[in-house]
Amino acid sequence: MDILNQAAHKAEAAELYEELREGVAVNFNGGEIETAGSEAVRGRALRVIAGGRLGFASTAGGSDGALLASALLASSHGDPAPFRFAGKDGPQAAVPVLDREVAGIGVEDLITWGEDAVRRIRDEFPELIVNASLGRGTHEVAVRTSTGGERSEKRSYLSMAVEAELIRQGDIWSVYASRSVRRASNLDREALLENLLRELRWGREIAAPPTGKPPVLFLPSGLPVLLLPLMVGFSGLSVFLGTSPLKGRLGETAFDPRLSLTDDGVIPFGPRSRSFDDEGVPTGKLPLIDRGVVRGFYYDLRAAALAKAEPTGNGIKGGPLGGGGFRVPPGPASRHLVLAPGAGTLDDLIREMKDGLIVAGVLGLGQGNIQSGAFSNNVGIGFAVKGGKVVGRVKNTMIAGNAYDILKDGVVAIGGDAEWVFGGLHLPPLLARGVTVVAQ
Amino acid sequence: MEDRLREAVARSHADYTEARWEQVARSRVAFQRDQLMALESGEEAGGIVRCLVRGAWGIAVFTDPAELPHKIEEATHLARTASRHVADPVGLAPVERAEARHDGEMRRDFRGVPLDEKRRLAEGYNRLLLTHSPTIASTSVRYTDTWRKVSYANSEGTYVEQGIPDVTLSLAAVARKNGDIQQAFESLGYGAGFDAVLGKEEMARTTAQRAVDLLAAKPVQGGTYTVILDPDLAGVFIHEAFGHICEADFLLRNEPMRKVMQLGTRFGVESLHVVDDGYRPGERGNAPYDDEGVPWRKAYLIKNGILTGLMHSRATAHKMKATPTGNARAVSWEHEPIVRMRNTYIEPGEATLEEMLDGIEHGIYACSAFGGETMFEQFTFSAAWGHEITNGVIGPMVRDVVLTGNVFHTLENIELIGRDFKLEGSAGGCGKGGQSPLPTTTGAPHVRVRNVTVGGR
Repeated sequence: MDILNQAAHKAEAAELYEELREGVAVNFNGGEIETAGSEAVRGRALRVIAGGRLGFASTAGGSDGALLASALLASSHGDPAPFRFAGKDGPQAAVPVLDREVAGIGVEDLITWGEDAVRRIRDEFPELIVNASLGRGTHEVAVRTSTGGERSEKRSYLSMAVEAELIRQGDIWSVYASRSVRRASNLDREALLENLLRELRWGREIAAPPTGKPPVLFLPSGLPVLLLPLMVGFSGLSVFLGTSPLKGRLGETAFDPRLSLTDDGVIPFGPRSRSFDDEGVPTGKLPLIDRGVVRGFYYDLRAAALAKAEPTGNGIKGGPLGGGGFRVPPGPASRHLVLAPGAGTLDDLIREMKDGLIVAGVLGLGQGNIQSGAFSNNVGIGFAVKGGKVVGRVKNTMIAGNAYDILKDGVVAIGGDAEWVFGGLHLPPLLARGVTVVAQ
Repeated sequence: MEDRLREAVARSHADYTEARWEQVARSRVAFQRDQLMALESGEEAGGIVRCLVRGAWGIAVFTDPAELPHKIEEATHLARTASRHVADPVGLAPVERAEARHDGEMRRDFRGVPLDEKRRLAEGYNRLLLTHSPTIASTSVRYTDTWRKVSYANSEGTYVEQGIPDVTLSLAAVARKNGDIQQAFESLGYGAGFDAVLGKEEMARTTAQRAVDLLAAKPVQGGTYTVILDPDLAGVFIHEAFGHICEADFLLRNEPMRKVMQLGTRFGVESLHVVDDGYRPGERGNAPYDDEGVPWRKAYLIKNGILTGLMHSRATAHKMKATPTGNARAVSWEHEPIVRMRNTYIEPGEATLEEMLDGIEHGIYACSAFGGETMFEQFTFSAAWGHEITNGVIGPMVRDVVLTGNVFHTLENIELIGRDFKLEGSAGGCGKGGQSPLPTTTGAPHVRVRNVTVGGR
């Protein structure tokens, strides 16, 4: 008997999440292939509402009986469920998330692409150590509820990450680029390597960082410094709990009017696109900031019920930057965050800033009081700009400020060319003022 | 499972084969403010096989135990494919064949504690946090326990079966006043039983009070300071800034970095000793046998200020002509072992806190850690809070204290090492190569360092 039917005898409602991950991956260490691996992992999670109380359990390999017993045990000590599981939904246009071409990419292909990347970088920078990892596969996810919800989907992924390290006595530095896509043709390996090579060329010389409060240009890969607090702040749960500075500010102009931010779960083949979230709720497009005005927060079923809001299809296992999987209960997290681009090329922005600092990556992202928007990070990958030209990379440099203040009063310009970074963030470069720079 | 593992690795045609099967039982309770966010218990099982063919690794991760023989074939095939591209083949340092069974000790086995009792414990701490002050806007309390039963066999005849307990508690409070939001937290983690997280009421009160106090604290003024690190933060420093670069897998195919990390190089003052220890009763970072079946040993990374050892897997030990140290650890059955830390600490020295404060005109006393990250020689870590030091006296609390620097310079700049000592596993864990959170323990006395860059507005 199906586990949902079994559950029906002992609980008022049940929700089964099933996941099958299959894929292959290769890892390069020091310019050379080191491992080739495969995975075939099946995991399940069951939520029940029994006696009005919520219970959760997960398993890999466990029997139906054991999974159900664990979920019922949890519910017997649980609290009243503030929400109901997804019900039967009308037909919904599916988002394209499966590219059959991805399955045709073999281990040999991944190895060749890795070797190409190593060669490209070493041709120009022979002294660098290059590491890389590439992978492809599928995630098959099904969410079924005893209340008639039934959704399943197979999603493909293809990913590539490359790191180049410069190691000299007293001077160690590395740059990193990664990309994850659902459609094979979306992986622009050339663009990924060009980004990396551009930073390596910029970083040939070491330059003194500007200090005080110089203009700071956040490249897409550095902009999460300002966006991570917003990922927490726009969570409907943070708003409900009162830990978000955006609480009670719907409709208010809390940001620069040039700023528009959307959580778009339905970008065709977007790296985190899905037709439904991990609770079986259809995803969609959710405006968070519209020209500076706070327009919405994202909710899973629980946070929506608590806050008396509508679920937005943001019930996701794992955080906005990934992780999760079957063993984690769903919670509110963004799908993609899309920051509307402005105008002008990266070179225009660099000319415009004249003398300042470019931030391409930081250490310690998210380690601090991100709820308040405060950040203070070591600039892991950064460059000094003088007279509108990049003059070299900086060392031992820290930036600090408050993301909410900077995104309200410190936006100088937003660039026209957005890129995918950190998996699900589509961001243009952003030139800011009001960031404090300290250097040793 | 033992017979199946032994038989499968014995039948493999690869040059070397290992198979690991794990059965994991866990429970978790989480409160946020007045909401029970998680209450669960459950079990999972999964496995991984790893084969070496002509110097390249092939790996297969799976959840269906019947697939074991087939997965060894698959991993062998993957290794063979990769091996055609290998110029510098992986080799394995020899180790003695091991045959061992070991279960971590628990005074009170958490597997026998009713879920309801775990809930009440977390709820009690949560109530203390929530009711501490009207400015406490929200809280987070998280209890977890995990019993990881690992069965490991390799084609050299080693068989190791271990039961690894892990219990954690984390408490956090968020205070809010006039739009300002501050948070404070404390966390614990042990390789021990349920008793390890009982009686932490005082810790809950301290946490809540600190969140309230932080509302009144000024952000630290950025600059370069003489800094005293409290034992919690000094422990995180030695793990993040120094420990990671002593993980030899990072040096495996990195000739220039191997030169930087040459044994015998002076890294700090004579009184500096840094240890990575694989077993201390009850600690979270324990690995009596690592995930290559290698028994633990206590390794001095720095002795008398001089680099004396690195942490190794069998592959890195082979390459660097060293002895495997038992540091090849995997976070779960979904991953292969890589070189990781265990219980890592700075040994205590001679100085008292008064002696350390003496002579500091304008400095920072940096306490506990939100976290840290390292990129080779560059490190950064966020203190949970700090205090100004003026003319040798600890003064008002400051917040947003983030320290950064170059690890080699910072080690050289360690001036004084305290005579106190604290060893502690946090509730979080260490992340590396997509494997997180791995249970580790860090420890240190108070440590005084000159010339540390502190970020700030």
